[in-house]
Formats: sequence, C-alpha cells, structure tokens
Amino acid sequence: MKSFATVAKMLAERLGVEPDTITPDTKLESLGADSLSVIELIFDLEDTFGVKMGDERPTLVVVQDIADIVDALVANKPQS
Amino acid sequence: MERVVITGFGAISALGLGADVNFKAALSGTSGIGRLQHPYAEQLSCGVAAQVLAPLPELIAKTEAALFDRVSLLALAAANEAYTQSGLSVDAEQATRSSVFWGTGMGGAHTVEAAYEDLFVKNKRRVRPMSVIASMNNAAAAQIALKVGFGGAVTTYSSACVSSAQAIGEACRAIRHGYVDRAIAGGSEALLTYAVLSAWDALRVLANTDAAHPERSCKPFSKNRNGLVLGEGGAALVLESLSSAQARGATILAELVGYGISNDATHITKPDPAGQARAMQMALAEAQLPLSGIDYINAHGAATIAGDAAETASIKAVFGEHAKSIMISSTKSVHGHTLGAAGALEFIISLQALRANAVPPTAFLDDPDPECDLDYVPLQARHNQELRAVMSNSFAFGGSNVALIAKKFEV
Repeated sequence: MKSFATVAKMLAERLGVEPDTITPDTKLESLGADSLSVIELIFDLEDTFGVKMGDERPTLVVVQDIADIVDALVANKPQS
Repeated sequence: MERVVITGFGAISALGLGADVNFKAALSGTSGIGRLQHPYAEQLSCGVAAQVLAPLPELIAKTEAALFDRVSLLALAAANEAYTQSGLSVDAEQATRSSVFWGTGMGGAHTVEAAYEDLFVKNKRRVRPMSVIASMNNAAAAQIALKVGFGGAVTTYSSACVSSAQAIGEACRAIRHGYVDRAIAGGSEALLTYAVLSAWDALRVLANTDAAHPERSCKPFSKNRNGLVLGEGGAALVLESLSSAQARGATILAELVGYGISNDATHITKPDPAGQARAMQMALAEAQLPLSGIDYINAHGAATIAGDAAETASIKAVFGEHAKSIMISSTKSVHGHTLGAAGALEFIISLQALRANAVPPTAFLDDPDPECDLDYVPLQARHNQELRAVMSNSFAFGGSNVALIAKKFEV
C-alpha cells in the first residue's frame, strides 16, 4: 500500500504548491511546511486512511517520511 | 453628530447566496427550510433546518482552510458581497477609522465539536493545531478585518438572537459619535452540530416537522405554530458616516436612523412585551419618527407560541391605534432562525423592502392565531407600497431586545 501519491496531493493542496513538484525526497522545509501545517496534514491523513498516528513525534524531514508512517499504520490496521 | 448611511449589504442563508437572491426568495415565500441533512439525523428529534446546502464561495486559499470555521466562511461570504457593493477601499489613515462590529451566538461550533470528537470519540491525544484560531468567538470578525485591512476596533457581540442587530446598532453609534467613519457590521452563525442540535432538541422549542411539507415547518403567527426552525447564515452591511460617504461619491442605499436596545430582566427565556416595547420606543425616539412613520416591520416572529403572542402585544403597546395599519411579516418562515446572523439578515431584507417598495409575506400563514390579529401580510407579497421607513425587531434568550429603523435616504 503506497500512500505517497495521496500524501503528496494533500500536502500540495494544504501548502498551495503544484503536486507534481513534490517527490519522495522533497524536503518539507523547502515546501514551506511548518510543523503546525504538517500536524494538520496528519489529521487529514488519519481521516483519509482510517488510521491513528499516536503520541510519537516522528522525525519528518522529507515527504516520503510521512508516507512511510502512513504505510506502516495502514499495514498494521486491524482488519474489520 | 454624524448621520449614518448604508452603502453595501451581503447575505448568505438557506435562501441562497446574495442579498438580492435572499430578498427575491423572501418576496415569493420560497422556503429554504428542509429536512435536516446531517450524519446524526437519525439520532436527533429535530427533523428540519434552514441549512446552507450550496457550496460556499471560494474566498480563501486552501492553505488558509484550517484557520476558518464555517461561521467565519459564512461571515466572509456576506462581508465580501457588502464590501464589493460599497466600492470602498481605505488608505492607511482611513483604515485606522474603520471598524468591524460582528455578532455570533456560538462562534466556531463545528471546530469545537470536531475537537471533542477527536478526543472523546476517536481517542486521539491531540486536536487540530488551528482549533483555537478557528473557534475563538472573535475569529469571524478578525478575519473580516484582516481581509479588508480595517485597523479600528474589531468587536464581537454575543447576545444570542440579537447579536448582529446589536452589532449594527453599536456600529451606528460609533459612527454617529465620530469614533470611526465606517464599519462592516453584521453577524454569522453555523451551529448545526450534533451536540448543539441535541441541546436545542432538549430545550423543546424547536418546531415539529411538517410531515407533508417540511419546508413549511416554521409558521410564525399561525394558530398551529409550534416552535422555531434553526438556520445557518451570514449577513453584513457597510455603514459609513454621511460625510465620508459623500466625500467619496458613494451610492447611498438607505439611512440608519434608529437603534433601540433593552433588556427584559424578568425571565431568562420568556419574552416580555414591556422590554420589547422599550426597545422599539427607543429606536423611534432616536429616529424622531411619529408612530405613523413606520410602514413595515420585519418581526422577530420566531414562531414560538409565547414569542409571537408577546411580539403582537408589544407592537400594539408601542403603536396603539397605528398598529393595525402597519404591515408586519416574519421572514423566519423561509430562512429559519439564524440566531447570531438573524438581526443582520432580517434588517437587510427590510432594507431591500424599503428600496423595492415591496413587502415580503409571512409565508405559510393560512390559519392565523386570532391572538395575532395584526396585518402580518399572510402568504402574498405586497408590491408598489409607499415605504418611507422600516423597522426590524430581534428578541433574544437572556432578555435582550433590539429594534433598528431605516429610512429612505434624503439629502
């Protein structure tokens, strides 16, 4: 399950940038993503993928870091 | 003391987007009330509401979305229309003499409830970071001021159903007494969340759903009226001192001549004709109009059994013999009770009536309560009326009462 495309699209919308300028290695800082907008994004991702991030404050440097966390959570989601 | 004139207005409600759209619907008695569309509709007793179902105009960047609760988006929609119509733009100096006066009953209700849902239902350990900014009660007013660059006082009034009427009146006073030269004044409300609707259900003041015709569930002054229908909405005016409006060659739409405000101080919910009367009399006194000078009253008319009776009594108490000659209607029949936005929305409809010489009806009034025996303009609009001055009433839980009077502008 690869969430990168969705993550990139939602990030692009939230930050007002072109989605195709975002690659897995794009640094969040370079997109103008401050920590608060990343948290807002995480909320949207939780709703979209039906997962919960938990309390950890993961180190998020590049966009793929976010996608990796979402992929892991989705993989571990209990099947209903 | 300055005279105060209106140079722009804007509205969004279940009737649609735009002051003209709202007035047209009110004139034709076309209701925006319908079956409640809500994820928790099954669990709620409340079966109807006046919801803004159409998509909101896109006035903010997607990057700003997290900062705006629905109540602020409705506010922007209304304020943007009013400001655009006014043709106003302010330089740095003028900006310091430009204010926002806003009203809301509950502020950012959706944001608050979403935060509680995240914590208590979804067991998240944090809420959205912009929750405070979106939900704070001054958010709508502050966002409007930010958009237009107004640097004068930004004040939010929260007095339930009179909030935006009070905001307009206080804006008028500030301009009249020279504190500011211009203001955006109005109100917005978006509180149709599960918990808030449940709270209103519990209070047992909401109308039963008219099963055959849900859109007719709000029946002011009817024999079989049985409560109010909640609505969402936003409404805004641009008010200016006459001298500053004339200096920039503004198109003047009407003149605000009277503001009356009182508190019942008798009961926390039951309406008191004496308190209502005092507000109307105060407005008339400021307007220096005789009792025969008011041609149309847009009533509070929330369709509660006690409220409509009390308003009939208070209008009679104020106007005496003249009461029977005044056209009075409640447009809540078609746009519902928009609470914090109600005063402004209904005042704008009154202004539209004044300008069009046309009085919107009280829709669905085919079986009047004999106790409500004034001319409540049942069912049909009245066109080609000679309207010189109009009054708009708002009465609130808590006991506040506001009356606003507008006149056709004459130099």
